Parts: sequence; structure tokens; C-alpha cells
Amino acid sequence: MGLASSSALAVDPPAAADQRPATAAAPSAAAAASAASAALQPYALDAGHTAVHWEVLHMGTSTIRGRFERAAGAVAFDAAARQIDIGITIDAASVSTGLGAFDTLLKGASLLAVKAHPQAFFTSRRATWDGVVPREIHGEITLRGVSQPLTLRASRWKCGLNLLFRREVCGGDFDAVLKRSDFGMTLALGFAADEVQLRVQVEAVRGESSR
Amino acid sequence: MKKTLLAASLFAIAVTAQAQSATYSVDPTHTFVTFEAKHFGTSTNRGRFDRKEGTITFDRSAKTGKAEITIDTSSINTGVMPFDGHLKSKDFFNAAAFPTATFSGDKFTFSGDKVTAVAGTLTLLGKTQPATLTASNFNCFDHPMLKREVCGGDFETTIQRSTYGMTYGVPGIPDNIRLLIQIEAVKQ
Repeated sequence: MGLASSSALAVDPPAAADQRPATAAAPSAAAAASAASAALQPYALDAGHTAVHWEVLHMGTSTIRGRFERAAGAVAFDAAARQIDIGITIDAASVSTGLGAFDTLLKGASLLAVKAHPQAFFTSRRATWDGVVPREIHGEITLRGVSQPLTLRASRWKCGLNLLFRREVCGGDFDAVLKRSDFGMTLALGFAADEVQLRVQVEAVRGESSR
Repeated sequence: MKKTLLAASLFAIAVTAQAQSATYSVDPTHTFVTFEAKHFGTSTNRGRFDRKEGTITFDRSAKTGKAEITIDTSSINTGVMPFDGHLKSKDFFNAAAFPTATFSGDKFTFSGDKVTAVAGTLTLLGKTQPATLTASNFNCFDHPMLKREVCGGDFETTIQRSTYGMTYGVPGIPDNIRLLIQIEAVKQ
């Protein structure tokens, strides 16, 4: 994948003191990359580097941003065979905007309705690939109990050996757009846009059931 | 009589000046600074500052303005607590010694009556460097509930954190950090 020779995916800032020169990891990362192509390999989401951020335009003027802080799930893929299997669960009540009153409104019955629908889901078993790099993930999102197709566009997808975990980590950014009205969230459409931009950060650790 | 006339004309000048240059107070519920940092060239780490305040004056006819926005560095929030703790430490924001970061903008660029850029300085870790915020959205509207004019938009800039002395982890943790700024301010 070319990545192994240049940089290994390393640890997050709190543990960055443990970081070692990336070149030391290159042979192992290369081995991991070739082994990964043998079969559908399981990866577990790294909670510290996985977040679902969203953006909505307010009054046609400025962009409101928020995120879901808790997501869990597993990703399995075989880049050589161009196969994936994704199942991610998002805790709807983990929505966070930095404004307590807004979070409460978002969790309420007219928007995310987290009491009735505590979880959102994303599942996919189909991607389009550019070589061994996924470009688009075609799946289904279930939000507020409503399922709709959703396509995530991938950027900066890379795999490498994480020096803290001593395992291969793959990660990247995934963007998608949905209409909140498609999921029954029509409150205050005159104030905040229907279109919601999703910006999803994903890193996943190979061969772990959960982290 | 002369005094009255003088007072009246001064008042008239004051009213005229007020009609053109208006003061706006930053609405903290629609003002956020979000940072984006690439994590080893792959996924994007994001975080925001939850506490901030500021005042903006601008004059659409004279095409001038001033902006002063102060951020509480200890309010950094990524959703990952150990990461927040490390960001507040001496390795990054050193929030105990430098509790605020301030952007002061005094060069407003307009296209028609819309602000397209605000240039000024950013003070971070006690060091002041030039910074220009570029607008991707700008708009003013009459807020239906506040019954006042609100102006705001989306601005962004990329800072090189090492120029402020924040060198921890460079280059593994990137030097260039993108700042996405949502701002709305209510006419006073």
C-alpha cells in the first residue's frame, strides 16, 4: 500500500511519548498489509479516533456543528477481493454540540427521539474501490427508526502498524449528506437546513473484537 | 441657545455615525471554533472550544470593522477526555498559564456588503502572529425571535502552531491546524 515505508499510523496525543520512529515498523506493517489481503479480516473501531460529526446551515448564514461521541462496531474487509462488511452502532444520546439546551432539544421527541430510538445504525456490504482503497461505501443508515440508503465518500484511507497497539490500524475520513426530513426530523426547517453534512472520522484496529 | 444647537448637532452626528457603524455582540450559542488536525495523514481529529465571547463593530458603507473574539483555552472539548487533558497541558495550550486565546481583526474585506475576509492577529500562548480569516458564508438577517439584526457566517484559517511555540509532536502531530469558525453576532 506504500504507506508502510513512509509512515505508520501512530498513537493519539496522550500516548504520543511512546512513539517510535515510523521506519522501525515498516516490515511488520508491510507483512500485515499482505496478510490482510488473504481474507475478510475483522477490525474493531478505535473509540478514541472514531467520531461522527455533523454540520447544518443555520438561517442560511453559519454552520452549526455537533457530534455523536459514542460509536461502536466492527468492520471486516478484504481489500484484494474488494469485499467489506460494516456494522456500526451510534449512541443517539451521545449527541454533543457544546450547548446543553440544544443537546436536550436534539435528543427530544421531535428530533432524534433518543428515548424511542436510542441507537442509530450504519450497515454496508458494498463499496466501490480504487485498487485496494475504498472510494465509496454504499450502505444503509437507520436513524430515528427510519432506514435510508447512504453513500459515504472516503478520503485519506490508509492502513499501517500502530506502535501502541502493535496491530494494524486502518483509518480515514468519510463524508455523506442526508436530509433530516427523510427521517421525520422536520422541526424548525425554517431556521436550520434540511441538508445535514456528515463528517465521519474512522480508525479501526485489526483483529480485536472490541476496544 | 448656542449650547443647545451644539448639543443638537453633536447628537445628530452621533445618530448618523450610529446608523452606519453598528456594534454586534457575539452570540455564544452560534459561535464556535472547531479545529481539524490530520491524524498521521489519515483520519481527521476534531475538537471545539465551548466558551468564548466577543464584540464586532462593522460599517457596511465605509467597509470597515473591528472584531475581538476571546476563547477560553480550558474549554477545549474533543469528546475524548484524556485527549482534552493533554491538549490543556503544557504540551499544547498550557491553559493554566495562558487561559485565553484572542483574535483581533481590524482589516475587513468586503464584496458588496458582504464580508469576505477579516485580517488581524491571533494571540496564542502569549505570542501574537498575523492571521486572516476567510469567509465561506456571510449573511445578515432579521432574527424573528430576537427582533434584531444578526450577522454572521463561516470563516476559516489554517495556523502553523509551531509559530506560537506549540511544537509538541511536530511533525507526527501536524503543525498546520485548520480552524473552522462559526460566528453569529447580534446587533446591539
